[in-house]
Amino acid sequence: MTSSKKVEKPQGAYIKKGRLYVKAVFTGFRRGKRNQHENTALLKLDGVNNRRETNFYLGKRCAYVYKAKNKTLVPGQKRLNRVRIMWGKVTRAHGKSGGVRAKFNRNLPPKALGRRIRVMLYPSRI
Amino acid sequence: MSTPSAKTATSGGKATTKTTTTTVVKTTTTTQQTLAGTRGAGSKVQKPRTTAAGKKVINSHANRELNNNGLMRFSRGRMFHRRALYRINKWKGDQAKLQGDKTKKTAGSIKKRRSPALKKKPVGGDRNGKERFVRSKRLPRYYPTEERPKKFSVKRKKFSSHPRRFRSTLTPGTVVILVAGKHAGKRAVVVKHLSSGLLLVTGPHKLNGVPLRRVNQIYVIGTSTKIDLSAAKLDNLDDKFFKRVRPAKKNAEKDIFDSKKEKSQLSDERRQAQRTTDAVVLNAIKANADSRLLRKYLKSRFQLWNGVLPHKLRF
Repeated sequence: MTSSKKVEKPQGAYIKKGRLYVKAVFTGFRRGKRNQHENTALLKLDGVNNRRETNFYLGKRCAYVYKAKNKTLVPGQKRLNRVRIMWGKVTRAHGKSGGVRAKFNRNLPPKALGRRIRVMLYPSRI
Repeated sequence: MSTPSAKTATSGGKATTKTTTTTVVKTTTTTQQTLAGTRGAGSKVQKPRTTAAGKKVINSHANRELNNNGLMRFSRGRMFHRRALYRINKWKGDQAKLQGDKTKKTAGSIKKRRSPALKKKPVGGDRNGKERFVRSKRLPRYYPTEERPKKFSVKRKKFSSHPRRFRSTLTPGTVVILVAGKHAGKRAVVVKHLSSGLLLVTGPHKLNGVPLRRVNQIYVIGTSTKIDLSAAKLDNLDDKFFKRVRPAKKNAEKDIFDSKKEKSQLSDERRQAQRTTDAVVLNAIKANADSRLLRKYLKSRFQLWNGVLPHKLRF
């Protein structure tokens, strides 16, 4: 490490960041045939096809990322941004085929139905 | 022990019918009875472990597991009484005391040396009996009208003294994937476990730009790649070293008008610590058999792409 004022970043610091979340789809709210409960969302995770495989994802944070017309400040960024996030977490498995239930800090808007949800890799348990 | 004169020997079986208890004796015990007679009183009789046929002998009076379900025939309390432990423990304690063995704690037979409650004091005057018995410790002069309020229970520990647990996969020297934060996706080396429960992690900085940094375990995936850092001595690096130093509060008036955010300066101490720690880690990497691979590995990034499912990955 040089002690000059402008520190050169090591070569290894310039590699672009890749995807660090698992893709999931918001398939609907928890519901019976005629009643739905919007406080719990159902997610279908990419590549997860049975209940045993969902174990890894329990407790992981999930994010619904969307854009809005007005720009707002995003934590960590200096510029105003159109991107907004609704955060939640995977709570438990749903059914036998790899579906998963998630609860968001505020209920997901119905226009998110069928849209992408990012399931992050943290809080990590491995 | 007198053996009955008319002895009918039965074939080595243990079961005897009630009508013939007086005369029928187990063949296996005849030899033992004579032996017992020759030994001193109180000696234990050794029972055979296997019968002549080779089967294990079960003492029907002993405690044993019932039907392999974990339950024992006699409970702990009953066994205490059957073994007369109430007597034996006291005996053991007294023996220990006799031999002056202070390492053995003997419940109940320890007597505290108390100073006598009353003591004699000489008293003046001819007709006052010369001596009086006086309390060695005086009674309190003040009794509060209310009982003192209960103190906060000592059993409840402060959070700072709670035990911190570390995942078994995150031992010092493990290569770890940072999964959140500024350095998400980068691979770093766990240097140390801090007493606050955080991990101390370094790139090394030369390889991937990750500095000596504290990281919470939940934002980290432990891989199976380990570097041998056992030789390292990193005592001065603890939570206090990394704690954020907030600027002292200035006068309120001054603050409003010249509001300049002070940029956090990287102290020389930190730079030095980074250099020394990285030197240790890089040496350990060099010493490793796959050092070239390891260096490339640490420079690379972790990412997910199509078809890569983390629940199927073996890290």
